[in-house]
Amino acid sequence: MDFTSFVGPFVPEILLLGGTLLIFLLDVLGLRRNEWLSTVAVTAVVLALLSVLGDLGFGPLSVLATLSPGQIDTLPAFGSAPLYHFTSLGLVFQAIFLLSALLVTLASASRPSDEPGAPIFYGLLLLATLGMLLVAVASDLIFLLLAIEVVSIPSYLLVGYRRRETRSMEAAMKFFIIGALSTVLSFYGASLLFGAYGTTNLFLIQADASTVGFPVLVLLGYGFLVAGLAFKVTLVPFHAWAVDVYDGAPSDVSAFLAGGTKKIGLFAFFLVFLGPVLLVNTAAAGQSPFGGGAVDLGPTLSITLGVLAVVTMTVGNVLALLQKEMKRMLAYSSISQAGYMLIGITIGTAPALTGATLQIFAHVLMKGGAFLVVAGVGALGIGPLIDDWKGFGVRRPLTGAAFALMLLSLAGVPLTVGFVSKFILFSAAVQAEGWFIWLAVAGLLNSALSVFYYARVLKVMYFDRPGPLETAEGTAAAASAPALGAGGLGYGRAVAIGLAAVLIVGVGLYPQPVVGAIQMAAQHFVSAGV
Amino acid sequence: MFPVLSTLLATLLVGTVLTFLSGKYARWTALLVSFAFLAEVGYLLMYFPGWPGLAGGVPQFADSESYAWIHLGWLQVNYTVGIDGISLVLIFLTAILQIATVVYSWEEQKKPAAWFGLLLLTCLGCVGVFVALDVLLFFLFWEAVLVPMFFIIGYWGGPRRRYAAIKFFVYTHVASIVMLVGLLALVFYSGATSFDYSSVFAAAPTLGVATQAFLFLSLFFGFGVKFPVVPFHTWLPDAHVEAPTGGSVLLAGLLLKLGGYGLIRWAVFVLPLGFHEVQPILFVIAFASIAWGSIVSLAQRDLKRLVAFSSINHMGIVLLAIALGSSLGLLAAVLLMFAHGVVSALLFMTAGSVHHTYGTRDIASIGGITPTTPTLSTMVMVGSLASLGLPWLISFPAEFTALLATWDGLAYWVLIPLGILVVTAAFYIWMMQRMLFGPPKGVPPTAHDLPWYETAGMGILAGAAILFGVLPFLLVNLITNSPIRGFAGL
Repeated sequence: MDFTSFVGPFVPEILLLGGTLLIFLLDVLGLRRNEWLSTVAVTAVVLALLSVLGDLGFGPLSVLATLSPGQIDTLPAFGSAPLYHFTSLGLVFQAIFLLSALLVTLASASRPSDEPGAPIFYGLLLLATLGMLLVAVASDLIFLLLAIEVVSIPSYLLVGYRRRETRSMEAAMKFFIIGALSTVLSFYGASLLFGAYGTTNLFLIQADASTVGFPVLVLLGYGFLVAGLAFKVTLVPFHAWAVDVYDGAPSDVSAFLAGGTKKIGLFAFFLVFLGPVLLVNTAAAGQSPFGGGAVDLGPTLSITLGVLAVVTMTVGNVLALLQKEMKRMLAYSSISQAGYMLIGITIGTAPALTGATLQIFAHVLMKGGAFLVVAGVGALGIGPLIDDWKGFGVRRPLTGAAFALMLLSLAGVPLTVGFVSKFILFSAAVQAEGWFIWLAVAGLLNSALSVFYYARVLKVMYFDRPGPLETAEGTAAAASAPALGAGGLGYGRAVAIGLAAVLIVGVGLYPQPVVGAIQMAAQHFVSAGV
Repeated sequence: MFPVLSTLLATLLVGTVLTFLSGKYARWTALLVSFAFLAEVGYLLMYFPGWPGLAGGVPQFADSESYAWIHLGWLQVNYTVGIDGISLVLIFLTAILQIATVVYSWEEQKKPAAWFGLLLLTCLGCVGVFVALDVLLFFLFWEAVLVPMFFIIGYWGGPRRRYAAIKFFVYTHVASIVMLVGLLALVFYSGATSFDYSSVFAAAPTLGVATQAFLFLSLFFGFGVKFPVVPFHTWLPDAHVEAPTGGSVLLAGLLLKLGGYGLIRWAVFVLPLGFHEVQPILFVIAFASIAWGSIVSLAQRDLKRLVAFSSINHMGIVLLAIALGSSLGLLAAVLLMFAHGVVSALLFMTAGSVHHTYGTRDIASIGGITPTTPTLSTMVMVGSLASLGLPWLISFPAEFTALLATWDGLAYWVLIPLGILVVTAAFYIWMMQRMLFGPPKGVPPTAHDLPWYETAGMGILAGAAILFGVLPFLLVNLITNSPIRGFAGL
């Protein structure tokens, strides 16, 4: 293998690594101004994103492609046991991960230029993003779990990078302990699978799966993997840490955790569960995965995943209803959204994966965007409670409208990307027939339930008065905050929020390009495995 | 061919945006948009080519357009619009109500740009529902109506407006979701090649009777809550009482019609076998709504609640007419919807005017208002008499057709709606007697007759009520230009 074809595919990763090193170098040199650091970070992320989009073959961007088309979606020969493998679905996920990193880095450009800890923040953020990109190309269990660690360890530090805030420190500690536990569970599951299959390579597991079948050892291994990965994805009952961490972390970091890093667990679910079992079942049944009926994941696994999905949606929504604080409400809603995404993996058809992937894309925009707004309005004197947002929509029409749009999209109101993704996901569930229609019913009822708490925020924002700026503390807080452009948000943050809002509406109105690309990738993924 | 229906939607969409942006001149923009819209509807009416009939058993539509929207192989969603007589009559109703509402609320002081913009947006959603011929497009417009109405009730409404707005939103949204599952199952279980009305229509007969009945019920749940039918009606009195007058007008005049229209277009026509299975259930619900709406009206002291409950009664008759499943019954249902749209809108306007002239809507605490406010009093009389079905006014031909169709289908059961019509007449006459006539009571010395814009808004509706009462064949000819002609689903 010559050098260029070995290195070429990793250009996005190399760009991020270069960005990270440059930022740490600037730190050592004492050049710690936020503007410079954020410029480096944004540039690295944008270049990486363009490169990934080029690989995906988006129109004129294909000149930026670093992968030859022959390298994508082609199965390597069995027995070679590759550690990584490029699939178009993986590239789609890379694009989604980079989008979430882009939103956060853009927004962070609005922070005060002498803020302490800025180099650590950007450096760790790029490092975590690098790990996310690696997750998306994994084709070996150990490679996958190590890539997840590359994401996790910077994330623990990101949550606690403001060392003087005890709340953040507590959240970071909690995150670290739970994260370590989940890692242990995942590796234990992987070791059991190694015992059953004699390999950790997902291709080889797939090849052997039909002869090995589903003995207790294999189910136990998958069970531990479900538990370990469920911590990452915040599935109920493995969700309890998420609210405290999202609440305690700086809001920009919450945006990155909820919008970005959480999704690696979902892609890991795709890789670990869908690929091998799907191929076994189609081979055994001798039918194409596009025959219309859903492919059986092996009843035990499939039912477990379905139950987890429904329980996660419901518990997340019910607890979100009870919250009085904005960030905690968003955190619980984030848990319930993970349940929707899991539906796609449970059904396991290409349409269902398309819906789930689009839902993940949408979630980056709506939840990531919402946390960015929350992070920005702190400087405007708005407290943590939902009631602190009284009159916000009237007082700040543009920011208010963007935030309302994100909430409406989360609630699945039409003409937003949140509607399109749920529509495709639930259509896929109905289309798969069998018991999957009940997943659609459960999902739709949950969307209706979720409208309650999003509508309540809208009510507070638009119908209630007086606004917090009229209270003494609010005025004092607003006065003490540094004056920033774009209505107090800062230009970088305003651009990030605007970008998210435009994408929410744009893809909501004309989803064809995005959905078409995702569906193509999902079809390759389902038909090729891993 | 010129995309006349897309132009129609675009007029309202652009008009809404312009209205939102035009600040204190919003009312002029809204009026201009309403006139433009009315002119376009007039063009549609004049050059309506007639219903193209069936092709291979599938109904065709006039002025139809179709563009690809989301094409994923297994999921083919298009932007497809088209009209027949039923949709056209309801679009005409939208145009009338829109202009009347804009004129009536001419002096709106509270955020006028938002107010007029939301009014136009509501109308846009309704027109969209009437022209949409694609499952997703239909559902999108259906849901899109909720948002502006939520804000209209929640921001401009009465003291308990927040509760009413949220109740309205949640009730209708949950119902829509059940309907959406039904629609999706209809597409995928029947193996329809796309989400288009025609392909769903063509594929639906492959479904078994039990599946059809199940799907019909899930669709009916969505449409029935919007109707509203007993026992899913409880959002309506709250929403109406708390809504501002303009909001009530659009709610009663247009939003309730969406339920009836959806039921006819998407359930009765598409799933005739399922319709046949659940017909007895529809009859029971229809009779319950007719009786309940009427009896509860008698007990109301608040003028607005009275009109709201009488709406439940009238929409019950619409459901009854639809449930008959005959050509005549469906004709009666559409006529009734048009009539109720005009008359209930007029009555809600009078209730609003009574409220801000006399400071109360309590029927018992005011009386003898005719000498002080003769115009208002006349309007109350026109509205009430039309609502109770006086000949030469619009409800009469509609209710007469409905009773005729009921006799045709159910014979002596017609005595139930007939008997209840007497009760309806009683509560209106009693209301007029107490409020309009007799010695003056509760009349403040400052009370004066209606301002010009309120008179004009009501005048448009009163004129329509009289015009189409005298010349009902104008509507009948239009409505029968649709699959209703020769409908023999049962």
